[in-house]
Amino acid sequence: MRFLALLLLWVSPALHAADVLHLYNWNNYISDATVARFEHECRCKLVQDYYSDNEEMLAKLAAGAAGYDLIVPTGNAVESLIKSRQLRPLDKRLLPNLKNIAPAYLDTGFDPGNRYSVPYAYTITLIGYNAEKLRELNLPTDTWAVILEPKYLAKLKGRVTVLDSQRELMAAALKYLGYSANDTDEAHWRRARDLIIRAKPYWAAFNASSYIKELTVGNIWLAHGYSSDMFQAQQDARQAGRPFTIAYSTPKEGAVLALDSMVIHKSGPRPDLAHQFINFMLEGRNSAELTNLIGSGNPNRAALNYIDPAIAANQAVFPSPDILRRLEMLRDLDRTQRRVLSRTWTEIKVR
Amino acid sequence: MRKNPVWLWAAALAAYAFLYLPLLIVVLYSFNDSRLNAEWVGFTLHWYTELINDTNMLVAARNSLLIAVAASLAATVLGTLAGLAIYRYKLRILPILAVTPVAMPEILLGVSLLLFFNLVFRPWLGLELGMWSVIVAHITFCIGFVTIVVRVSLLGMDESIFEAARDLGATPWQTFRLVTFPLILPAVMAGALMSFALSLDDFVITFFTAGVGVSTLPLQIYSMIKIAVTPEVNAVSTLLMLLTLGMIVLASRIHGKAIQSTGV
Repeated sequence: MRFLALLLLWVSPALHAADVLHLYNWNNYISDATVARFEHECRCKLVQDYYSDNEEMLAKLAAGAAGYDLIVPTGNAVESLIKSRQLRPLDKRLLPNLKNIAPAYLDTGFDPGNRYSVPYAYTITLIGYNAEKLRELNLPTDTWAVILEPKYLAKLKGRVTVLDSQRELMAAALKYLGYSANDTDEAHWRRARDLIIRAKPYWAAFNASSYIKELTVGNIWLAHGYSSDMFQAQQDARQAGRPFTIAYSTPKEGAVLALDSMVIHKSGPRPDLAHQFINFMLEGRNSAELTNLIGSGNPNRAALNYIDPAIAANQAVFPSPDILRRLEMLRDLDRTQRRVLSRTWTEIKVR
Repeated sequence: MRKNPVWLWAAALAAYAFLYLPLLIVVLYSFNDSRLNAEWVGFTLHWYTELINDTNMLVAARNSLLIAVAASLAATVLGTLAGLAIYRYKLRILPILAVTPVAMPEILLGVSLLLFFNLVFRPWLGLELGMWSVIVAHITFCIGFVTIVVRVSLLGMDESIFEAARDLGATPWQTFRLVTFPLILPAVMAGALMSFALSLDDFVITFFTAGVGVSTLPLQIYSMIKIAVTPEVNAVSTLLMLLTLGMIVLASRIHGKAIQSTGV
C-alpha cells in the first residue's frame, strides 16, 4: 500500500495539468530564466520535449504523434510540415512584436509571407580556428580558401576537419567558386568536386560530431562547422584554461545560414498560449537570453541591447549587412539532383 | 581439484576488463573537473550537484526507472506464462509468434505501435499517448525475451519430475508452486533482469511511443548530443550503475542460487 502511494506521488506531477503549453524543441534551446519568466507571465506551465534532428521530429509527427503546441524546426522542415498540412496559420494580430524581426529573415523561400513561421534563431556554417596557431602560421581566417587551397593547407596538414555533410561541404566549395550554395548546375558541381578532391589529402577527417572537442583540446587547428558549436568550443577552451583561444568567422565569399522558426502544430490543444509564447519570445530580452546562452545567431533587432557585448560584436551572431547579403539558406534538392549529388559525394569519398 | 591453467585466468581477466574498463572510465570522468571528457584535470563533485539541480534529467531518470520496473514486472509474469504454455501445448506457431517481436527491427515495432495506439486507443478509449504507452510498448518487446529464457530452461528439464509430483498426489497448482516454479526461478529472474535492462536503455521504441511531456533517460541524453554531452551524463550513468548493481546484489541475497545459476 505504501508502495502504491509512493508510486502515485511520483506520477502525480503529470496529473494536475491545467494550463500547459507543450513545446517540442531542441535541447538547451531556451534559457531557464526565460522559461521561468514566461510561466510567471502566462500563469501556465511550459513543458518541453526534445529532438536532436529534424528528420526525427518529422518522422514522429508523420506517424501521428499529437499534442505538441509549438515546434522549432529548421528551414526546409517547415516546408515539409506546411506541405503535409500539419501547421496552423498564424494570427498576426496576436503577434505585435513581429516588428522586431529584421526583414532579412522574413519572407523566406520555405514560407513566403510568413503565414506559418516566425524566426527564432539561426546558425551559420563557417570556420572555427585556433587563433594563436593561425596567426603564427600567417594564414587568412576570412575565406574558404584556407580549407580548400593547398598553398594554405600545406601548413595545416592533418590539422583540419570538414563537416561530413554533402550539402554543407559542397556549399562551401560552391561559395568559394563564386556560385550560389543552391547552384545545381552539374558543371559547377564538378568544379566544386575537383576542388574538394584536391584539398582532401590535407584534411584530418570528415567530422560532424567531435570537432568541438578536437578544437578545444588542440588536436585540430581549423574546422568547418556550425557557429553555435564554435561558440561552445570557444567557451570550453576558456573555461578549461587553455593556452590558446578559439575564434570563428564567416568567410567573405558567403556561407550557409540555417534558420530555426517557431510554428504552431494543428494537434496542439492550446493555440492561444502558443501565440502568447511566440510574441513573448519576440521580445528583445527573451530572444537575447538564448544568444547569451548558446551563441546562436539572432534575427531580432530589439535583442541587441541585451546581448553580451563580446557576443554582439561577433559577425557570426550579428552579421554585417555586407555579410548578410552573402548568406544563403539551403533549398531542398529534387530526386535527380540528390542522386547526382550522392554520386559526386561517393567520388569524393573514394578518392 | 585440478588447478586452473594460467591462460584460463588470463582469458577471464581479459573478458572482465573488456566488460568493465569502459564503465570504469565513465565513472572516473564523472568526477573530472572539466566538461571536455578528454583529459584528467582534477577531482570534483560539481557534476553531481549540477545533476541534483537538473530537474529535466531527474524527471527523465525517474520516468525511466518507473517504466523499467513496471514493464519488467508485467513482462516477466506474461512471459513466464507464455513460456509454460509453449512448453505444455506443443504448437509450432506459438514459439514463432513469441520470438517475432524480439527479431523485428525496433524502428518497425516503434512506428507500428505508435500507429496502433493512435488508431485504437485514442478514438476508442479516449487515451492520449503518455507514460502508459511507453510501458505497454516495452512490455511488448520484453515478453519475447522472458518467454525464450523460460522455455529453454523448461526444455532442459526431465518431464518425469512433474509427473512424479502428480503421481504423489499434488494438484496442478501445487505441482507448479512447489516443483516447476522453483526449478524455473533462475530463468524467470534472468528474464526479469534482462527486461529491466532492455527497457532502461531503449531509445527507438520509446521515442515513437512517448506522449507529450514524457521523457526518459535515453531520450534526454540523446537530445543533448547536438550541444555536446557533459560529464553530468557520466554522473547520472554512475548513479544508475550503482542502482543496478545494488539490485543485483539484493536479488542474489534473496535468492543467491537463482542469480548464480543464471550467471548474472
